[in-house]
Formats: sequence, C-alpha cells, structure tokens
Amino acid sequence: MKMLGSRRVGASQVVRPKSTIFWILRWAAILATLAFFSFPTVWLLSISFKPPIEWMAFPPTLVPRNPTFDNYVVLFRPELPKGTAGAMLRVTEPVTKSFVNSFIIVPVATFISVVCGFLAAYAVTRFRVGGAFMPFFVLTTRMFPPAAFAVPLLLYYRWLRLIDTPIGLIVIYAGFTLAFSLWMTKGFIEGVPRHVEEAAILDGASPWRVLFTITLPLVKGGLAATTLFVFILNWTEFLYALIFTSTRSITVPVQLSHYVGAVGRFYGPQAALGVVASIPVVALGYMIQKYLVTGFSFGLLKR
Amino acid sequence: MENKLGPERNVLLSLKGVHKEFNGFVAVNRIDLDVYEGEFLCFLGPSGCGKTTTLRMIAGLETPTDGEIYLKGQRITHMPPQQRNIGFVFQNYALFWHMTVYDNLAFGLRIRRLSPKEIDRRIREVAERFELTDVLRKKATYLDLSSMQRVALARAILIEPYLLLLDEPLNNIRPGLRELMRADLKRMQRDLGCTMIYVTHDQEEAMTLGDRILVMNEGRVEQIGSPLEIYQQPVNLFVAGFIGRPPMNLIPVQYEVTAEQAWVVWKGYRWSVNSVKEQVEKSKPERGLVLGIRPEHVRLSPEGLGIPALVEVVQPLGRKDILVLKIEDTLLQAVVYGGAKVREGAIIWVEVPLRDAHLFSADTGRAVAHGIG
Repeated sequence: MKMLGSRRVGASQVVRPKSTIFWILRWAAILATLAFFSFPTVWLLSISFKPPIEWMAFPPTLVPRNPTFDNYVVLFRPELPKGTAGAMLRVTEPVTKSFVNSFIIVPVATFISVVCGFLAAYAVTRFRVGGAFMPFFVLTTRMFPPAAFAVPLLLYYRWLRLIDTPIGLIVIYAGFTLAFSLWMTKGFIEGVPRHVEEAAILDGASPWRVLFTITLPLVKGGLAATTLFVFILNWTEFLYALIFTSTRSITVPVQLSHYVGAVGRFYGPQAALGVVASIPVVALGYMIQKYLVTGFSFGLLKR
Repeated sequence: MENKLGPERNVLLSLKGVHKEFNGFVAVNRIDLDVYEGEFLCFLGPSGCGKTTTLRMIAGLETPTDGEIYLKGQRITHMPPQQRNIGFVFQNYALFWHMTVYDNLAFGLRIRRLSPKEIDRRIREVAERFELTDVLRKKATYLDLSSMQRVALARAILIEPYLLLLDEPLNNIRPGLRELMRADLKRMQRDLGCTMIYVTHDQEEAMTLGDRILVMNEGRVEQIGSPLEIYQQPVNLFVAGFIGRPPMNLIPVQYEVTAEQAWVVWKGYRWSVNSVKEQVEKSKPERGLVLGIRPEHVRLSPEGLGIPALVEVVQPLGRKDILVLKIEDTLLQAVVYGGAKVREGAIIWVEVPLRDAHLFSADTGRAVAHGIG
C-alpha cells in the first residue's frame, strides 16, 4: 500500500526517490532468477566442450579446463573415435539422418496441425460447427496418457505398414497437437471483433475471402505463436518416436537416447547434440519474433 | 399515419410480419414496415428493444424466425448478406484495422472486380467529400474517432448500396463533435439522396435526423410517423412518456358526466371534455383516464387563477427553467422562460391548457384524444 502510494503521481503527492538498497535488492533478485533459469543451458554448453575425464569431475567446473570439439565431431563422424569417449561409443550412425528425419517430419506435421487447427477453430467459433461440445471433443485426445494410445496405434500401423516411416510420425504428430492448435487459435479468433468480419461480408466478401483477407491477417501473430509452440512440442516428442521408429525414421530425441553405453552415459556427445538440436527452435523463434510480440499479448486486437 | 413524403414515393424495403426469437426470448415481435426510397428513417427505442436486431435482419446478418423481407420488390428473407448490396455502418465502425484507409475503401470495389483505375477514381472522389484525402495511406488503427466514422461511412457508400443502415454511429463521439457530425450526416443524406435507416436510442438525434421515426419498445413497433406527429400525437402512453424532454406529465384522472356535460376530474379540479366526448365514451372511461401535458405546455397564470403549486426545485437552463412543482402529493414538471424568476419554496399558480393536452386510456394505454377543446 505504501509502495503503491509513493508511486502514484498526484497533485498532493511527491514521488519518493528509490533508495540504493531498493535498487541493489531489485537487481540481485533479477540476476538470481536469471542465473537459476539459465544455468541448465550454460551447463549443457559447458559439458558439450568437455573431454570425457571432466564430465563427472568433482568439484565440477563451469569452464572446461581442456575444451574440445570432439563431442561435436563424434556426432557426425562416429567412425572416428577419439579418446575414451570414442572407444566406448556404440553409436555407429551419424546424427545427420535423424536431423533430416526431424526436419521433414516436424515442420510438415506442425504445418498440418496449425492449418487444420486454425480452420477448425474458425469453423467452431464462427459457424458453431459440431455444436458447443466440439472443441472439448477434440481436447479428449489429450485426456489420456500418450501410452494408452500406443498399443492400438501400433496394431493399426503394422497393418498399414506405417511403422518406421516419416508419414506415420507426421500423422501422429499432427493429430496429437491438433487440440493445441485448435484451442490456441480459437482464443485469437475470438479476439477479432465479429463486426469487422460482418462489415466485410456486407461489402460482398465470401466466407473464404473474409477468412483470408480479414481474419487471417488479424490473427497472424497468434498463428506465429501457435506455430512455434506446436513446433517445439513436435521437435521434442520422444515416446511415439521411440515406439514407432526403429532405424530408418528415427528423430533427434531418439538419437539423443542412443548415447548411452554399457558403462554409462555419454554426457559429452549428448550435450553436444542437445546444443545442436536446440538451434532450429531458437532460429524459428528468432525468425518470427516480430509476430510473437502481438501473439503473446493476447487480445491486442480488441477495440 | 400516411408518411409526409407522400404516396408517390416508391417502397424500397418492406417488412411483413418479421419476427425474431432467441431461445424463446422474443427480440422482435411481428413487425410490418414500409421504407420509401430516399427517406431517412430512424429506429428509436430504449436499449434492448429490438431495433438493432431488426437492422441486422434487414442486412441479412440475422435470419428472421418468421415473416418476410422484400427489397425492391424482391424477397430477400433468406438471401445471403453478400448479395443484398446493403451498406452498414457499425457502432464501432468495424474498420479493417490491418489495412490502410485506401484499402478499406477499396475492399468492396475490388470484390466487384472494378478496374484499379475506376476504383482509384471513385475513392478519390469520395475521399474528397469526406475529407479523407490526407489519411488515405494511413493504417485504419491510427485514425481519430471522427475520421474512423467517416471512413466507415465512405466505405459503406462506395459500394453504391440500395440502402444504408447505421447502427448508433455517433455513440462514441464526444458531445459537441456529435452535433456537428449529425449535421454532416443529414447534409450528406440530402446530397446523395440515398435511403437510410438509422438506429439510435437518443430521441434528439432521431427527431433532428429522421424524415420519419419508428418508435420501438419490447420488440414491437409503437408508432411510425414524422417527428412532429410523434411529438404531437403520441399513440400511447409509452410514446408519450418516451418522446420529449423533460417527459410529459401523466396525471391519472376520473371521468364524470353531469347533466350531459363531460368532465375529467382531478383533485377537485375539473376540465370540460365535451368536444371529445364521443371518443372518450368509446374508450371505457370508467376504467380510468390519464391526462398528458408536456412540461413546455404548462403555463404560469396570475395569482388566484388556476391551480396553486409549491415550487420544489428550479433547474435553470439559461433561457428557460425547468420547474418541479408539487400539487398536494403529485409532482408536475413545467418549462418556463428564465425571465419568470421563480424561486424555490414559493407558491405559484399554473394552468393546464387542454388545447395542448392528451387523453389516454388508463386501461389500454392507447391515446383517446389529442388537443381538447
């Protein structure tokens, strides 16, 4: 109350200057929070440059004592073992294949999911397609643990010969993230005033024209946010990728799990792969950040 | 009830028994209406009376539960709104916020596949008359309210609609500017000669703008007529109480006949209503009558003449004062010229001239007579 009072600028009130202690505490809190949340990322980066001897060294060091690129090299050239890491490594496939797979499966699945989710959300909000219960019905795909779907899907997939194919994973990914796409875009579509669409209709625009020239441009920030969100979900999905792929169509998260040997975990290559795998997500976020600002400030359109 | 525009005008739009229910709630109750070409018609009524719903049904944004709508003789009840060629100005203007003013204006014309050259010519022309030339390249979001309103109007007019519908377009405009824009609108309607239906809950707006006014209440049409008709001959108690500010004084009175003379009696005062005896007799006066007198028609009279009244409140408005008078236990409002110098607490004498009064049936609420004697 006191703080609120001192902040308000009124005729009878004077803004009290903040004390030095306030600023010190404030910055301490900010830095502590920042350190807490960025530590795992920093640690990942650090390990990815450490030689095997330092992975488990005690006391741990944040900066590698003998920095090396071996962990990265081993990802792409597993046949060039170096040091103890290489000797124990049983992975014979370079990560290139899993990256190619992920780069095909994830964007395609994300695209299908967001496009279908957006169109479905539009139909549901503007035309009440399927009745009021429809959006909740779609949400039921997220109500059960993913493992519950695994066995029936496995049976169908074997029958349809979709196991270990990119198409198989694309269908699963698009299907399971559809509920997210629908619900997220639904919120943005509801933020577009109905009158704006009606004005376009009265100007003579067909429903598709209204959708593409009025609604879509007004929710593009929301679509960008949804795309990034769904992309991350798909990019990091592990369970279905593990179950439905074996060799040809493995994705990056599955590849990541392969750096476990008979003796222990290969923290170095794993960390290196983690760093490499996070690059596409960061890059995508960077590319669409212009739209993300409006996307994350829900309801900017309300006028 | 014939419109003042005369019968030679063509009927442009016709509503026949148009009815709308939302989940059992009757929003619009069997409306019949003819709108003539070139007229400025105002829908007037309190919020929630169904005026906007009626407008939306004409535009095709809502489908009537029952009844038919005809535009230029063609039945359009179930025609999609895209094909009706009706312009609509929304309360919040509903501009395409992500587009420039130019693109907003061009939207309907591009759908009509006009050549870019023709579109440009028409936009320049309209922009000129609406003083929008300077903001054509601006994003719609960055406009001030008055420009937004003009863009909304210009956009609706550019498609050359058969009919222009306006849903409280001046609601968000601050007073002062409002009156200016109102005058603009009226001038523009005259110049363009287009037919307009204008929805408002502001009677001043309706009175000043409309060639005719349709007074709505609880989904029903109470009265259609020229502003003067509605002011001078309200058909029932609702219209009488709704139109005019301050509102009409409504006084419950008794009806008496003594020796072939007909009287209305109130608190020992009596007025002869012989001249309208026939109408009064027909309205079952034994169930009670209501005498209506507008505050501006209540007159001060010399001391000792008329009815003595205690001045409760004086509300000076400069050129005139609004008085709240107390006669025994009844409150009466009167508008008098400010020069009368009436003081609060004083006793004054007033007169209720029956020539300007109205009689209503207390039972049905319908008007029995206007201007007695």
